[in-house]
Amino acid sequence: MSKHDVAEIRPQAIGQSIPRKEDSTILTGRGEYIADIRLPNLLHAVFVRAPFAHATITNVDVSAARALPGVELVWSGADVARLTAGIPATVQVENFALTTQPVIARDEVRYVGEAVAVIVATSRQIAEDALELVDIDYDELAVVANVDAAQAAAHLANAEVANNVIHASVRVADDTRAAFADAAVTVRDCFRNNRVNASPIETRGCVARHEWTSGLITFWSATQMPGYLRTMLAMLLQIPEHTIEVITPQVGGGFGQKAHIHPEELAVCLLARELGQPVSWIEDRQENLLCATHAKHQTNDMAIAVDADGRFLAITNHSTTDAGAYNCLPWTAAVESEVGTATISSVYKFPLAHADAVEYATNKTPIGAYRGVGWTAGQIARETLIDRAARELGLSPFEIRRRNVIGPHDFPYTNVTGLEVREGTFMETVDTLERMVDYAAFRERQAAARAQGRYLGLGVSVFNELTGVGTRSLAYLDTPITTHDTTTVRLDPGGTVTVTTSLVSAGQGLATSLAQVAADAFGVPVEKVIVRAGSTANAYGLGTFASRAAVIGAGSIGRAAEMVRAKVRQAAGHMLEVAPEDIVLQNDRVHVAGVPTHGMSLAEAAGAIYFAEATHPEGFDPTLEATATFDPGDNVLANGGHAAIVDVDIDTGIVRVEKVYAVEDCGQMINPMIVEGQIRGGIAQAIGASLLEELIHDDNGQLVTTTFQDYLLPTTADVPDIEIAHLETPSTLVPGGIKGMGESAMISAPAAIVGAVNDALAPLGVAITQFPVSPERVYRALQAATQ
Amino acid sequence: MKRITDSEQALVATTVNGRARTFSIEPRISLADALRYELGLTGTKVGCEHGVCGACTILLDGEPVRACLMLGVQAAGREIETIEGLAEGRALNPLQAAFHRHHALQCGFCTSGMLHSAIGLLRRNPSPSRAEAREAMAGNLCRCTGYETIIDAICDDAVAAYAKEQWHE
Repeated sequence: MSKHDVAEIRPQAIGQSIPRKEDSTILTGRGEYIADIRLPNLLHAVFVRAPFAHATITNVDVSAARALPGVELVWSGADVARLTAGIPATVQVENFALTTQPVIARDEVRYVGEAVAVIVATSRQIAEDALELVDIDYDELAVVANVDAAQAAAHLANAEVANNVIHASVRVADDTRAAFADAAVTVRDCFRNNRVNASPIETRGCVARHEWTSGLITFWSATQMPGYLRTMLAMLLQIPEHTIEVITPQVGGGFGQKAHIHPEELAVCLLARELGQPVSWIEDRQENLLCATHAKHQTNDMAIAVDADGRFLAITNHSTTDAGAYNCLPWTAAVESEVGTATISSVYKFPLAHADAVEYATNKTPIGAYRGVGWTAGQIARETLIDRAARELGLSPFEIRRRNVIGPHDFPYTNVTGLEVREGTFMETVDTLERMVDYAAFRERQAAARAQGRYLGLGVSVFNELTGVGTRSLAYLDTPITTHDTTTVRLDPGGTVTVTTSLVSAGQGLATSLAQVAADAFGVPVEKVIVRAGSTANAYGLGTFASRAAVIGAGSIGRAAEMVRAKVRQAAGHMLEVAPEDIVLQNDRVHVAGVPTHGMSLAEAAGAIYFAEATHPEGFDPTLEATATFDPGDNVLANGGHAAIVDVDIDTGIVRVEKVYAVEDCGQMINPMIVEGQIRGGIAQAIGASLLEELIHDDNGQLVTTTFQDYLLPTTADVPDIEIAHLETPSTLVPGGIKGMGESAMISAPAAIVGAVNDALAPLGVAITQFPVSPERVYRALQAATQ
Repeated sequence: MKRITDSEQALVATTVNGRARTFSIEPRISLADALRYELGLTGTKVGCEHGVCGACTILLDGEPVRACLMLGVQAAGREIETIEGLAEGRALNPLQAAFHRHHALQCGFCTSGMLHSAIGLLRRNPSPSRAEAREAMAGNLCRCTGYETIIDAICDDAVAAYAKEQWHE
């Protein structure tokens, strides 16, 4: 047996849009989120944050803060440095800079918002009063404010990073010069993506309790990775791992931002141990925008060579990331440009490529994971250039893609970055999108609108996605991490099924979708399954990220259930006097295959196994629970595409998204309603990232967008209704044919939206290559074009 | 009205979900924090504390307000409704049930505010068009759903029937 084994699951509950089990708790205000956890004698921590992007700390005076009534403790960096070195992070590949982020900065601060002291008080209000009493002297240092400054390397953002280069890599280095020389059309541009924040509506937070009598630590965190967090608390704080229980309560959105080890988590754990009282830290919105991991800040200088028939000859790309002052743990600065470089050719047949990436250290908040991490920026660049080539050749955006996607006769196809693509409905996706938008009718409508001075545009983007990310996919992405995820399945004495899993939810509905999987694994109704998650007292695992929970969940539930089913078959076969292989579990019964009447209810079989030894075969082991890991045997590739129609007001520069279309092929869907929820939510974030959201820093590295009045999330006024179509290519690597899909819309929809704006503006000779496409950028580009 | 200093506690008498409640708080405590931590009504969520995200929206004398932008002491003598009072006994009310049916929530952090803003709309207009619903809900941020299913739920026929019966007959 191997961790890659694909258990048999016959979809029955799988495939149904079952309303979610978790809804009633939320709809009645009974969900317990991190800020709702109230413990006796709970103390409250707040962090003093650095006001400079780069400075030496010359003096810290916390005496006045300590003297404030109600303040229990104030720690500076020196106090914490005795207890932990901080968060070391690197990738085990050559020449990758190791950075160690202190929990509290001691000698030097390297980004605005870095913690420089922490205050614990009997109330949050008192702790915040004390913030103003902490007196810290700084000597300002030269700020490495952006990639240009990092490249100049006149100053270092972080002395651990030589030349400000965290890592430089060349993924593929074909000689593309002849291809470009021979090309009928060459398209090239530099695309500057914005720095954004995942902005879950619930900010980060954690609560720690330490019992000195038993030595046990209970640590609640709004995290996507409780098992990994437990291991890291143990390693980085030198605490025996078995004495820590990490609990993930109800989480108000994660989107990758909560899939990191945060310095504040280490601090709060140490504080609770020091004080012998529980300590809570709840981030406020300004802190979240300032210093929760930032995301997506890539620049891509890309070129594509195309022949006269519209066939791609070569692609070149140089990608850089403005990575901030430290590597985040566990993803590091590699998480943007290197992931994007590894997937740059996407679903297309490029014979040749040259693609490299450099991650630069800057005096900004560390870059981290946010839905579609790594992929979004390269997708925008490539799809925009493809549209431009189509325009030059007089081809439709659909036709040029049809001529270049990996087709049904090409599988298996090893693409130019080394990814073996064995399946995918790329051609069908293009055709489906073309039908959905009614392309010919759109062009007529667009022409009619232009005649009246209105500028409509259509953008198209097709993609594939590494889902169910495990060891194989991380190795492909040059992030060599072995993943380890388990689920425990128990058939209860009364014939119900209890699943305990390491896969936590941040709102995705796993308590419902994984129950559907387990129901089919045992042939029972969904109501007879409960999925318990959120405590490391349960099965171990890395957590929920990278479109993996459905895949890892189905795989591990399937493998564990298969072990338990074997016991049921063995016992029932003995009772029914047939061979175990002739026994099936279905419709809540255990019976002889093909003879449903010759059998018993699953409850009767379970009851007999638990409590009626006389029914057991000789030497029978009645254990009816099993724990199994699952790690996909290869890359699990889902695919799909998006089209967007926008209306650009050329007087104000305002872009209105009229309609978005999505095609998704994630194999067998577990719960189509939940899949569509992920698509719609991802498209809203795509509209935000491409049109509205931007973390803006000034030349001194100060963030100037620190509220939701400056950092604009999309509202009901910005997100249109979305039309969705499904294709279905079942995976052979995952039980039930399931694939992941949570990130898809943030991989691909921004490219469709940007493409639509550029299609609208093309007749005016304007192309937008810096994002978000704000009204000001559109206006200035139009001004420049008319001068 | 009696004047009190910053460090004094103010005694506030109010009505919450139909029941008389009193609590004493520092005058600087927001209404959201007062509800959450003085009355234990943690269903009201705090997302931004500057009045933009709408997660803390409750009903004050029947109108949606942002509980993070009011002080707890301003609740004196007012009628407050929170998410904890919405269900009908142990059954979801028709608006809650529509949110469930239409998958109008994912992480749920915005849901309490969404429900109260929706009630504010439905009290004015029991059967809003999708455009009217979008307009009325534009002050509540959701990061998970993309809003479409929230609009579906608010424009559901069963919700319109409920709204007419509750507030328009």
